[in-house]
Amino acid sequence: MIDAFISGFLFPGVLYALVWTVGLFWFFRKFMAPLHKRVGPYYNGPHGSYQTLFDLSKLWTKESITPTGVNPYLFSTMPLIAVIVAMLPNVVIPWTNNGPLLNTPYGLLILVVLVGIEPFLLFLIGFGSDNKYSFLGAIRVLTQAISFETAFFLSALAPALLFSTLNLSKIVESVSFVSFLILLPSLILYFISLLGLLEQPPFNIPDAEQEVVYGFMTEYSGTGYFMLQLAKFVEFMAVFAGAGTLFMGAYRGIFFDSYLWFFIKMVSIAVIMITIRAATPRITMEQMLHFSWRYLVPLSLLNLAWVMFAKAMIFTGV
Amino acid sequence: MEGDGVLMDYIKNTISDIPTEYIEDYKQNWLKCKLKDSKDILTITEKLKKLGLRSISTISPTDFPNENKIEMNYFFEDLQNRKNCWVKCDIPREFDKCKIDSITPIMPSANWHEREAYSMFGVDFINHPDLRPIIVSQDYYGKAPYRADFDWRAHEANQLNNLKAIVDDFKSDESKNEKILDPLGSDTMLNWGPTHPASGPIRLKVHCDGEKVISVDPEIGYVWRALEDLVTRKDFIGAIVAVERLCFMDNINSMTGYCMAVEEIAGVEITPFAKWMRVLLGECARVSSHFMGLGNFFNTMGLHTLMLWNMDVREYFLDVLESYSGARIATAAIEPGGVRYPLDISIFKELQAAIDKFDSVIGDIEAIFVKNPTMKLRASKVGIISKNEAIDFALSGPVARASGVKTDIRLDEPYAAYNEVKMDYITAQNGSAADRFRVIFEELKQSVDIIRQAKQKIEEGVASGEFDPQKDHMVKVPKKLPAGEAISRVEWARGEVLMHLVTTEKAKSPYRLKMRAPSFNHTMMLNRLLADKTLSDIPLVFGSMYICQGDLDR
Repeated sequence: MIDAFISGFLFPGVLYALVWTVGLFWFFRKFMAPLHKRVGPYYNGPHGSYQTLFDLSKLWTKESITPTGVNPYLFSTMPLIAVIVAMLPNVVIPWTNNGPLLNTPYGLLILVVLVGIEPFLLFLIGFGSDNKYSFLGAIRVLTQAISFETAFFLSALAPALLFSTLNLSKIVESVSFVSFLILLPSLILYFISLLGLLEQPPFNIPDAEQEVVYGFMTEYSGTGYFMLQLAKFVEFMAVFAGAGTLFMGAYRGIFFDSYLWFFIKMVSIAVIMITIRAATPRITMEQMLHFSWRYLVPLSLLNLAWVMFAKAMIFTGV
Repeated sequence: MEGDGVLMDYIKNTISDIPTEYIEDYKQNWLKCKLKDSKDILTITEKLKKLGLRSISTISPTDFPNENKIEMNYFFEDLQNRKNCWVKCDIPREFDKCKIDSITPIMPSANWHEREAYSMFGVDFINHPDLRPIIVSQDYYGKAPYRADFDWRAHEANQLNNLKAIVDDFKSDESKNEKILDPLGSDTMLNWGPTHPASGPIRLKVHCDGEKVISVDPEIGYVWRALEDLVTRKDFIGAIVAVERLCFMDNINSMTGYCMAVEEIAGVEITPFAKWMRVLLGECARVSSHFMGLGNFFNTMGLHTLMLWNMDVREYFLDVLESYSGARIATAAIEPGGVRYPLDISIFKELQAAIDKFDSVIGDIEAIFVKNPTMKLRASKVGIISKNEAIDFALSGPVARASGVKTDIRLDEPYAAYNEVKMDYITAQNGSAADRFRVIFEELKQSVDIIRQAKQKIEEGVASGEFDPQKDHMVKVPKKLPAGEAISRVEWARGEVLMHLVTTEKAKSPYRLKMRAPSFNHTMMLNRLLADKTLSDIPLVFGSMYICQGDLDR
């Protein structure tokens, strides 16, 4: 009972997600600032670290405006569902060497399915807002999700093929330096499709503020907006953790095994993502489709062939 | 330069069979004539078009209630060959008789300028393809606010009804959309602005089918301050604060234009030192404007880094303006008769710091942003303006030059000390959004080069005693000017600014000031550039046209 309480509300549950969101949000701002030749959050707390906390607490205490003409229940519950669905992958990810909360042979499947559902929820959010820009953004979410999920699934499948298991704990245990090298192309493909799936530059098309006014988020304010941001950052965590688990051995590290290693791996992915964010303009919808279906998906298939070849020729030991 | 005279004579001969009151040379590159009959406007337009004067800079009506006439001024320009023609004619003032043939069917660049004259002075243009009011809000429709007898106070007193007129019009517009769009189709009307993250205070009515744009109808006037009317209530010096608010990004050059017109009427020649100061300050303002323009271009693609990097450098140039005038943005530093303040030569240290800062970062900006492959992928195939289009629509400044039009007022009709400055046209060939970006970037470097030249010249002049920075900055301009009329043109950061100033005898304030601002023509192009493109291209093309709503609405 107490165990369930701890894992549900503290780690890796709600509190963990909140702390991660606040921390990553601050890190995004603070890391982006020097790239922009700015200072970033400065006054509140050490290096402005309380600033995000204040911002988020402000957001969730502000008035939420529900536009007339929308279904109020749908409008206000959808962000909550989005947060919950974004948090669910936490149960299958092996955060520490105690293994995941739910040790199942289908961990990878659960992870990719839960990550794959999220864009559909965002579509419903935009569709239910009864706003032209939200609707356009919602359609863009779907288009982009369809284009990038294929590559995402295929690259996430590579470790499962290599190690012949869908169990995430087993994958983590099997990862070695050789397997890391074999899976390096998969990691790169995973990272690119991660950018598309998380709507990060250069693929931040669905919530492009200059084109469709933040797309599906246009009508949300106060608590609803806070929920959507929370869902976004928790989703970041799930996808980063997915990369860490599948390719980089999660909590395993040099000298000792600990959550710290996992954290370092996730943050290093975040660093690359932010650096790309600071230097790349957005591409258009057509260019995104062109890129995804002409290059990314075929390359992912080729990559699978490479992994199978490597499994047969190099990695016969496992 | 001799060739110009021959060209002018040729133009003079060609239009001499049209009955005119006078034809005379005006300034270096201008011919001024007054038609006896306003019906001849179409004939003369066609003739001038055949002679290569294919652009109409602006149309400026002037209201003379005592003589019961409205005087129309047409400014025909040949953007590349330094020959221009100013055509005047009178039309009656009564609303039902206040009519003239529209020249838009011959010269498309006149389109919005005629609409503006229609909204502001109630001039009816016969055969205009799309004569709707522009700039003014619905409560001013049909009231001709710029006419001398318009009662602003009475209009303001009726505020509730005015608001009602605006709301009613918006609602009827909305319900009209419901009717013209197929309820079962996927067409929709998007309001791109006036409250949109990338629009600024302008509203583009975008008719689109999903992501595809079918047509764009810009609705402007959200920051209309009636500057052209405001100046008539101030004295000649006080008017500069209205003139500089054309757009705060480059406030110096618009003041220079206005002051040149005042000096021409007053018959005052300013000192060489003041001329060089105008160049120096003007280029500082141009740099600050171009930096914002470049940053904004990348902002439209969701990348804010360049804007912030640019602001970092821009601050140094604003420091110079601040040290000179006391203000960073609205400097009010140029005054009829010269420049407003004596120069403390120590601010050149700050100027040197600005130039050094510029030199230290411009390489990074070029490598990361100007050569950015993703930017080129997006921008080199959209917003393409051909050279002919640029001339026909009277585009100017970096936008025209990016299409290969060799036009730059600083070289075509040198003002201030630009005749002594070493510079050249910066052009590109394809006229795409990426080309415009590159031209603005190259002009940034050119401007800093001009600043260096001006700085060196002033330093030498002060050292040799040729310039006295404490006294030479001003020559006296009388407070009351004689009756007269003048135009002046300057190369503003965004393009050509033409000021048409009319004064009456012993006047203390301008009688009429028409400011031609480049964004007006550039916004006119949006529908042509965006039809059949996608929603993603709207902010990019809009940003690349280097539009400022301040000078769009005035």
